[in-house]
Amino acid sequence: METGRIRNFCIIAHVDHGKSTLADRLLELTATVDTRFLKAQHLDTLELERERGITIKLVPVRMRYRDREGCEYILNLIDTPGHVDFSYEVSRSLAACEGALLVVDAAQGVEAQTVANAYLAVEQDLELLPVVNKIDLASAQPERALKELEDVIGIDTEGALLVSAKSGVGIAEVLDAVVRRVPAPEGAPEVPLQALIFDSVYDNYRGVICYVRVVNGSIRSGQQITFMANGISDQVEEVGFFTPSMRASEELGPGEVGYVIANVKTLHEARVGDTITDARRPAEKPLPGYKRVKPVVFCGFYPVEREEYPQLRDALEKLQLNDSAIDFTPETSAALGFGFRCGFLGLLHMDIAKERLQREFNVDLVATTPNVGYHVVLTSGEILEAHRPSDFPDLGKIEEIREPYIKLSMFLPTDYVGKVMQLCQDKRGVYGSMEYITPERVRLVYELPLAEFILDFHDKLKSVSRGYASLDYEHVGFRQGNLVKVDVLLNDEPVDAFSFICHQDAAYHRGQAVVRKLKELIPRQLFEVPIQAAVGKKVIVRQNIKPLRKDVLSKCYGGDITRKRKLLEKQKEGKKKMKQIGRVSIPQEAFLAFLKVSEDAEE
Amino acid sequence: MRRSRSASCDAGGSGGWNASSLRDEALLRNAAALASDAPLSVYVHIPFCVRKCPYCAFTSLVPASGGIIDAYLEALEGELARWTETAGRMFCAETLYIGGGTPSLLAPRQWERLIGILEGGLRFLPGAEVSVEANPESLAATSLRLWRDWRISRVSLGVQSLDEEELAWLRRPHSAARARDALSACLAAGFRTSVDLMFGLPFQTLHRWHRTLQELHRSGVRHLSLYQLTLEKDSVWGVCPPSESLPDGYAFYRFAQWYLRRKGYGQYEIASFAAPGEWCRHNLAYWRGGNVLGLGAAAWGFLEGIRYGNGNDVARYVAEARREGAVSVEERLEGRKRAGEAAVLALRTAGGVRLRGFARRHGPEEAARLVRCLEPFGERFLRREFGRIAFSPGGMRVANALWTEVLADDEDEASPEEGFLSGRSCRR
Repeated sequence: METGRIRNFCIIAHVDHGKSTLADRLLELTATVDTRFLKAQHLDTLELERERGITIKLVPVRMRYRDREGCEYILNLIDTPGHVDFSYEVSRSLAACEGALLVVDAAQGVEAQTVANAYLAVEQDLELLPVVNKIDLASAQPERALKELEDVIGIDTEGALLVSAKSGVGIAEVLDAVVRRVPAPEGAPEVPLQALIFDSVYDNYRGVICYVRVVNGSIRSGQQITFMANGISDQVEEVGFFTPSMRASEELGPGEVGYVIANVKTLHEARVGDTITDARRPAEKPLPGYKRVKPVVFCGFYPVEREEYPQLRDALEKLQLNDSAIDFTPETSAALGFGFRCGFLGLLHMDIAKERLQREFNVDLVATTPNVGYHVVLTSGEILEAHRPSDFPDLGKIEEIREPYIKLSMFLPTDYVGKVMQLCQDKRGVYGSMEYITPERVRLVYELPLAEFILDFHDKLKSVSRGYASLDYEHVGFRQGNLVKVDVLLNDEPVDAFSFICHQDAAYHRGQAVVRKLKELIPRQLFEVPIQAAVGKKVIVRQNIKPLRKDVLSKCYGGDITRKRKLLEKQKEGKKKMKQIGRVSIPQEAFLAFLKVSEDAEE
Repeated sequence: MRRSRSASCDAGGSGGWNASSLRDEALLRNAAALASDAPLSVYVHIPFCVRKCPYCAFTSLVPASGGIIDAYLEALEGELARWTETAGRMFCAETLYIGGGTPSLLAPRQWERLIGILEGGLRFLPGAEVSVEANPESLAATSLRLWRDWRISRVSLGVQSLDEEELAWLRRPHSAARARDALSACLAAGFRTSVDLMFGLPFQTLHRWHRTLQELHRSGVRHLSLYQLTLEKDSVWGVCPPSESLPDGYAFYRFAQWYLRRKGYGQYEIASFAAPGEWCRHNLAYWRGGNVLGLGAAAWGFLEGIRYGNGNDVARYVAEARREGAVSVEERLEGRKRAGEAAVLALRTAGGVRLRGFARRHGPEEAARLVRCLEPFGERFLRREFGRIAFSPGGMRVANALWTEVLADDEDEASPEEGFLSGRSCRR
């Protein structure tokens, strides 16, 4: 197909503004998918996506469309994930398009992610087609939504499309606009191959399937190709496009979107953002924008049953085949035994990984409270990456500690400005700016330590704004923070699993919460046990667990001896399951609950 | 040979005391013969009550008619006869304890029958201690006379409390007044009378507890057994608890230890307080590892190191006790496990473990291990004198925690060869 008849576009929207429903309607109208087989959110392939109403994985689809003059076009719709955790993936799929439908909910107007995604699209030079969705709603205010698009984002809303994806109003006009207003791809068939990998998935039978957008040249089966980021070469087994199921074709030419299956075994070899070129006639340089995404949020995954450690490892390996952004390394925990320290792109990413492990791989697991990675500058000038309190060296060796910051932008009704500002201050936020989008709505920008954000910021924001605030963020790098490592000592022995990093001002408060919680959870022992929280050598909180005074004495006659002995044996067994730190027995619940203590500490 | 025996239990599934496991029978027969050599303790279980208390997990049922009790006594006679045949001679009782259930529930003519059975099937050492359990609501004057005229020397009365509200809350079938009457009847009849009490009720106060103890002391009772209310899995309250939480019981137990001592009751065992000379010898036999012949449904016995338990199905007991015996569970601990259990039992008593004797029976290593386990707990919990190691009053309060230290770890267990039947039981 000549490039003039191809349109590559995507849909970007804030979560819940109707992106998937609009995609469904487009497929229906172009008869790409038989309506009998059309399920809601057709392009969201993961069970989890349908359930949560979010998009995680991108599924590109090729639609045939005949315009009013009878010209046939190929429209490639590239669905994008709508969550900040996946902003790099979003940027890559945007890079595969020439245009974007910017969907805004007619009742809710512009939200944080609308802005973030629109700017990403502008940055990629995409033609933006504003679409106001849900105009059938009683509370719809399309004019207000359009005004916000102009005021907040600054785009021209002339020719904006008013639709209702739910009832099908205005869908034909959307397709028409795509053909007329989205530029055709440029690209030359005869120059060396450059194809952008905007996503890749792992299939049990076929290995890695790369979703590509051919920019220049063409790719066909049998061709020897090179992945430019790592220089690995492979032979193409099959190319094709999505209808949305995979259909093989002879070749993919410039401007076309489809898939490539080569002899690639792991996603690490074919990373999102990489460029495929012809091994025999390589392009001079790769397409711009490739970067390796780095995990920013870390947590431990442990099997519920300790024997299931190998299963968890297998499952993680398989999951990693599907999701190369996941990082994991083995670690051991006093409470949980053998497990893995895993790195993720964000909290949602972590949640999804956890649920997929449980659902798709049937592994019961315990996830520890997420934390961020710190940069510890040593007195020697060396910089250490530390993901856990135990990675931190002695206080004396630390010059400074740096922690990751994010720039947070929030959209909210003016009524809640005070409360949200208070929340941001509590979370060590640094005020950035405040703009009135409309007299009733405000855009608030703060810079916030990521560690505070992942603790529970989202929940707190929802609760102080009654769900009316939306947010988006970007990483803005590491900054020096007044951070300390708080050690927790039981009977004068430090217990690694209980230590934590926090801001100096919060050390007392959080230390107290931890000590209180431990006092609740550690059963009385035969002797008094002091629990202390300390920064370096300085004890900041101290409480004692009173010794056991009395344990139960129930009736026991001669015959009960066996039963009684078994009860004692069970009790002993229980005690053995507890972790012995010095002479103190600590039940597993204490470790587990501790993993959540940071949340309670706020109250 | 020992291993094959335990294997036969597993394979047969029926285990215990019937034709399919002749070896078991042979071993227990041996033990019975050995045990019949010297006076021992005999326990008889009477598994009937006027009604089931919500906290109770012992085997008992409410008899539909007197007929079931008659049939039960018949079976009891059969079981005793069978043991006598097995041992090759009559057993000689040093102590006899008729417990339940509620033995006082038996009608006088049923008592006559039971007395006939025991008198006909056992010999009694002169001065044998014979105890019977009674509940105030079913204590009949005729029975009291029968008991006195026969050999019964002790009555253990299930008073539980002398506080009306507490009794009502416990859903006991008797009132405080009824308990007082029963108590004075027992004392007037000249029985050594013991009273069972309960503490750790949700609304109990030290004042109420003191009133009950004081009144009992004044009434002349010279033996008290104190039990903390617990919610047993197999009881009504184990399924639906009467209250969200129960107190830890510390204050009541602590107070009793202090108060009863001042009034002349020594704590000779973890749950028992008695005036000098009033110790229950039958009770002590359990903790000292003496031989016990257990008779009746759900009764337990201990013969020459083999502990056995009878099945707790009363109907089945009635049907099979004579012909097949009633044993459904057997257990013989060896080595470290046996030593651990013996220590736990002995540590229930104020006398504790006599280290010399313990070393002789279980080996010096075990004696040394015991001392090693306990020593770190020091004087707060322990008493060491005259070659004994025992719990102090403070140690008695946290006995459960201390016992778990004493019990052998599984991995400490010596080779499986040695641990024949250890921790293994054959279920019927």
